[in-house]
Amino acid sequence: MTQANPISSAIALIAQHRVAAVLIFLLLFPLIMPYEALALNILIFGLYAVGFNLLFGYTGLLSFGHAAFFGVGSYLTGITIVHFGLPWWLAIVAGTAASGVVGLLIGFLAIRTRGIYFSMVTLALGQIVYYAFYKAERWTGGENGLRGVTVEEINVFGLTLDFVNPLTKYYVLYVFVALALWLVSRILASPFGAVIESIRENENRTAACGYDVARAKLLIFTLSAVICGLAGALRALHLSIVPIDSLHYLLSGQAVMMCLLGGMGTFFGPFVGAAVFLYLEDVATSFTTHWMAIVGVVFMVFVLFFPKGIWGTLVQRWQRWNNHSVVTK
Amino acid sequence: MTDSSNHKVAKPANLRRRILAGGAAGLTIAGAPFVSRMAFAQTGPIKIGFPTPLTGAFSAEAQDQVRAAELAVKEFNAGGGFNGRKCELLVRDDKLNPGEAATRTLELIEKDKVDLIVGSLSAATQLSINAVCKARKVLFNSISQSDAINEAKDWSFYTFHEALTPHVTAGAVARYAFPKFGKKVVYLTADYAYGHEMVRGFQRAGQAFGMQTLADIRHPLGTSDFSSFLPRIQALKPDVLVLCNFGRDLVNAAKQVTDFGLKQNMKVIAPVLLYTSRQAGGADAFEGILGGTSYYWGLEDRIPTAKIFNDKFRKAYAGAAPSDYGALGYAGIRSVLQAITEARSTTATAVANVMRKMRYDFYKGSQSYRLCDHQSVQSVIIVESKSKAMKDKYDVFNVLSIEAPDENNLRTCDELGHKVLS
Repeated sequence: MTQANPISSAIALIAQHRVAAVLIFLLLFPLIMPYEALALNILIFGLYAVGFNLLFGYTGLLSFGHAAFFGVGSYLTGITIVHFGLPWWLAIVAGTAASGVVGLLIGFLAIRTRGIYFSMVTLALGQIVYYAFYKAERWTGGENGLRGVTVEEINVFGLTLDFVNPLTKYYVLYVFVALALWLVSRILASPFGAVIESIRENENRTAACGYDVARAKLLIFTLSAVICGLAGALRALHLSIVPIDSLHYLLSGQAVMMCLLGGMGTFFGPFVGAAVFLYLEDVATSFTTHWMAIVGVVFMVFVLFFPKGIWGTLVQRWQRWNNHSVVTK
Repeated sequence: MTDSSNHKVAKPANLRRRILAGGAAGLTIAGAPFVSRMAFAQTGPIKIGFPTPLTGAFSAEAQDQVRAAELAVKEFNAGGGFNGRKCELLVRDDKLNPGEAATRTLELIEKDKVDLIVGSLSAATQLSINAVCKARKVLFNSISQSDAINEAKDWSFYTFHEALTPHVTAGAVARYAFPKFGKKVVYLTADYAYGHEMVRGFQRAGQAFGMQTLADIRHPLGTSDFSSFLPRIQALKPDVLVLCNFGRDLVNAAKQVTDFGLKQNMKVIAPVLLYTSRQAGGADAFEGILGGTSYYWGLEDRIPTAKIFNDKFRKAYAGAAPSDYGALGYAGIRSVLQAITEARSTTATAVANVMRKMRYDFYKGSQSYRLCDHQSVQSVIIVESKSKAMKDKYDVFNVLSIEAPDENNLRTCDELGHKVLS
């Protein structure tokens, strides 16, 4: 019998309860960040990257159009508040549902293609969504963006919370992120989660095993869009505006960068990627206008020397060390 | 027996109470920095947040804004500040991205606890900064052009607009140019809010002169090749061609219009002729092009405050002349500092109330804020680009005319949706 090492058993416990571990971390997160707005951005973009990772890391489909889902979630949340006066929580539901519908439509068209063609089709469809929202100035504000998504206080179970207070805002939005992370973890742990991973590993073999690959792809595409849409919806409430950049393809590219930086195909990796990317950008911006050079170099270093990303490398090291110590004992 | 059981029950209750007490103490300690920071804010420096796009397409203009704003701050501090409180300028890069602008404004308000915000350099970023400030009742003085910011649905009591609006600038250029150069007009317009607002301003002002729009040709933002539009403009034979685009688009359009020889048959005008664009584009491309601007250093021979401002700027920055957007940075900071001194307070409401009544002349003649929308009513300078007899590299425009400040040139309060007049 091997004596359980306290560190390794602690890590095993974290691995077993990954959602709880992430949530405890995020609960304390605003305390270690320089300011709450940055912590909120990381929370939101972390969720966006997690949603994207469902498709990219776990299913092996590289989409370049995910800004469309993020943006649609943002805009529909904003529009339903500004033009229809919906309560904030219903607006979040509306935004998330709308991006699910757009995800279903785009997914339906895109999953017929593979590889680079899949990326190109998602990029093109994403640009169509961008243009449609850009032109619908009456509803979206066009170039100027949508303003007036202002929620000053919210009522939860009879409690009135000051939504302008940054910490209150963080913890309210945190609840939504927590639910989404639990859902993602649940999906990944389910038999369906195993199916999408097997699609990534060998699509033909998955089909040969009797799984409907096209339907599984469409389902995970839509789920990924829903998660990204929720992230967008939360951003509309956070910033109280919806900029047209929310639909821009640069934001689609950012999801890819965050996933690669943190570690694609890991549960927590995209969050780490988003945190490092945004924190680095924030710090670099405050002392040089050439912040892009710094972020770019860091990104290249990771792609070259840590192809599994920051979190992915840590997980790998831990597994190796664990196996090694088990063998020697 | 009962004693011991009571004792046992009491223990966890005690523990709970201890945790509660500890928690309360913890919260007090955690809250302490906020309390001390708030107390500090009454006596520490006056903090002004200054979000502006130091990176991105307008970085040259933004850096000039910062230089001029720092000049205003230095001047204020050299004069002893307010009640011994010095001013501190917190410059943040908004990357010309409205989402980043909102985040940076949140940082300035929530972390740095600034007293007010001045800055921005695009319609979209100023609207997002304004949205954040409005919800938190923080005073914001915008120094970039936009029509939307004055409209009732975006505006708040704490919103001030130091810059001109596209409506006023385009109107002034139209009032000067249309009677002189003929009635048939073609617009070459960048297809976004700024371009549309400019065309609207021209057309409104043009009605009085019976102007006739032959075509409003839209091009996508960021067009580098205009050759497909130019033959069509040639064929329409207009008297006036109006370039309703900005920055790099304007430079490219001006160059290609010149190369194509369109200037021989028609007068080319631009609503906003930027000093920095003219410097980037060169004398030949802009030769003879006429346009409006909020400020040109050459005003100094007729406006004494312009001379004072230019001299200070030259002295501080190795002889360089201030640009139009730079000058706005200076005026934006000076007006809020002046208001703080007069109000003897830094609270947003007190400062806003003083600004509403202020008449000031910091660099371009008399100005004041219109009561219904806090738009700075100011002169518009009509300039023409020079290509000959230039004294130095800063000497790029001839000042043709100055349209005096007049509230009647603005869109009416009613049109903007402001119910309560004055």
